[in-house]
Amino acid sequence: MTSSIVTLGEIWLIAGAVVAGGFLLLGLDRVEPNARGAYGFRALIIPGLVLIWPLVLWRWAVLASGGWDERRRHAPPRRAQAAMALTMAIGLPAILASALILRPSWPGDAPAVLIAPPPALSPASTQP
Amino acid sequence: MSVAYVPVQWTRTKWFYDAVLIVAVIVYVAAFLLIGSAAADHSRPVDGAITNARALGTCAFLMLSMILAIGPLARLDRRFLPLLYNRRHFGVLTAFVALGHASFVIDWYFAFSPVPKLDALFLANTDIGHLVGFPFEWLGALALVTMAILAATSHDFWLSFLGAPLWKALHLAIYPAYASTVGHIALGALQSAENQTFAIVASAMALGVAGLHLVTWRSGSPAAGAGDWLAVPGADGVTDGRGLVVDLPGGGRAAVFRQDGELAALSNFCAHQNGPLGEGRILDGCVTCPWHGFQYRLVDGRSPPPFTEKVPTHDLRRRDDGVVEIRVTPNPPGTLTTPIPISTPAEGVA
Repeated sequence: MTSSIVTLGEIWLIAGAVVAGGFLLLGLDRVEPNARGAYGFRALIIPGLVLIWPLVLWRWAVLASGGWDERRRHAPPRRAQAAMALTMAIGLPAILASALILRPSWPGDAPAVLIAPPPALSPASTQP
Repeated sequence: MSVAYVPVQWTRTKWFYDAVLIVAVIVYVAAFLLIGSAAADHSRPVDGAITNARALGTCAFLMLSMILAIGPLARLDRRFLPLLYNRRHFGVLTAFVALGHASFVIDWYFAFSPVPKLDALFLANTDIGHLVGFPFEWLGALALVTMAILAATSHDFWLSFLGAPLWKALHLAIYPAYASTVGHIALGALQSAENQTFAIVASAMALGVAGLHLVTWRSGSPAAGAGDWLAVPGADGVTDGRGLVVDLPGGGRAAVFRQDGELAALSNFCAHQNGPLGEGRILDGCVTCPWHGFQYRLVDGRSPPPFTEKVPTHDLRRRDDGVVEIRVTPNPPGTLTTPIPISTPAEGVA
C-alpha cells in the first residue's frame, strides 16, 4: 500500500531533477548574466530547481524569449502581501479557538484508579 | 552587491548573526532536553526520541514566530532592523530545525509500520472530515514542504531569475505555512491537556504574531489626487538624508529623498530583495537599503560602479501652489531625473 501523495512527490522530484540538470547545463548562463563564470553557488540552487521546476521552465522560456519588462522587477505584490498577512492574522485566533474549544477530555486526563487484578486462572484452563 | 554570484555573501555581521542564531538554537534545545527529561512523568514514559522531536518542534515554532514578528517590529521600532538584516539565514536554519523535528517523529512513531514510514505518515489517519482527530501531521508536512521551498529559493539568484512579483508571491507562502504550523500544533500537541504551559505559550506566540501584523498591516503616506501626477504632502519636510515612503495607486510605492536641499524619488523597492529603500538613508551620497546595504545614486537609481543594480526613478515637479507632485508611472530602471529644490517656508508659494 502506497500513499498517492508520496508517489506524486517522487514523480515531482524526478521530473525536477531532469529539469535542474537541463537548466544548469543549457539555460543558466544564457538567461542570468551574473551566473557567468560563477560556479560555487550552483549547488545551492539545485534544491530550488528540483522543487519548483514548473516555474523554472516557465521563467526560462520567458527570459530566453526576451519577453520580460525589467520594470516589473520593482513591482512586488504588496496588495497581496497585505491581504495574506491580514488573513493570517485573523485566521490564527480562529484556528486556536476552534481547536481549544473542541479539545476533548482524554482518558489520560482522568484520575488514576486502582483496578483489581484479574482472577487467578484455574488449573484446568492452563492445560494446553 | 552584484557582479557574479557567490554561494553566500559573507560579512562579519552575517557571521555574527549566524553564530548567535546557532548558539541560541543549541542552548534552547539543550535546555529543553534537560528540563523536558527531568519533568517527564514516570506514569507516562516519554522516550528520548519524543523529547528530541518536541525540543526541535518547539524550537522551530519559536523561530518561525520570530521570523514573522521581525518585519512588523522593525516597522514599529527601527532598533529591530538589525534582526531583519539576515532573516534569510534565519529562515533556512528554521527549515533545518523543522526537518529535524519531522525526522524524529517519523523515525519514532512510524518505526514499525507495515508500509514505508513516509507512506504511513499519510495513511495512518485520513479522517479529514472532522476537526477533532484531523490528521494534523499533514498540516506539519505542508508547512515543512513550504519552508523547504522558501529556504531553497532564498539565494539572490532566485529573486533575479524569478523577478520580484513572482519571487515575492512565492515567498508569501510563509503566511499559510505559519497558519498550517499553528493548525498542526493546535490539532496535535494542544489536544493533549497534559501541559497547559505549552498551550499558553504557543497561543501567546501565535496571537502575538497576529497582533503585530494587524497593527502594522497598513503604513506609508498615501499620495493624493488622480491621474499620473499625484501630490506628496509633506515632501518638503523630509529630513536631509532621509526619505518619505509614498503609497501609489495600484499597490506601488515610491520613496522621495532629500539630499543637499533637493528632492528626488526612486522606487521604494531595492533591486536586491525589494527592501524598503524609503526607510533607509543617504550614506556616501547614495540611498542605502536598510536591509542589506545596497546603494543607489539618487539622481539615476544606479548602484555606484562596479555594481550594476538599478531601480526605477520617479519624476517630481512642483505645482504653482508649491505642492510637490510625483509621477506615478516609474521611469525605466537607471533613468536620470532632475531633482527639484526644496521650498523653505520663507520662499513657499501661497
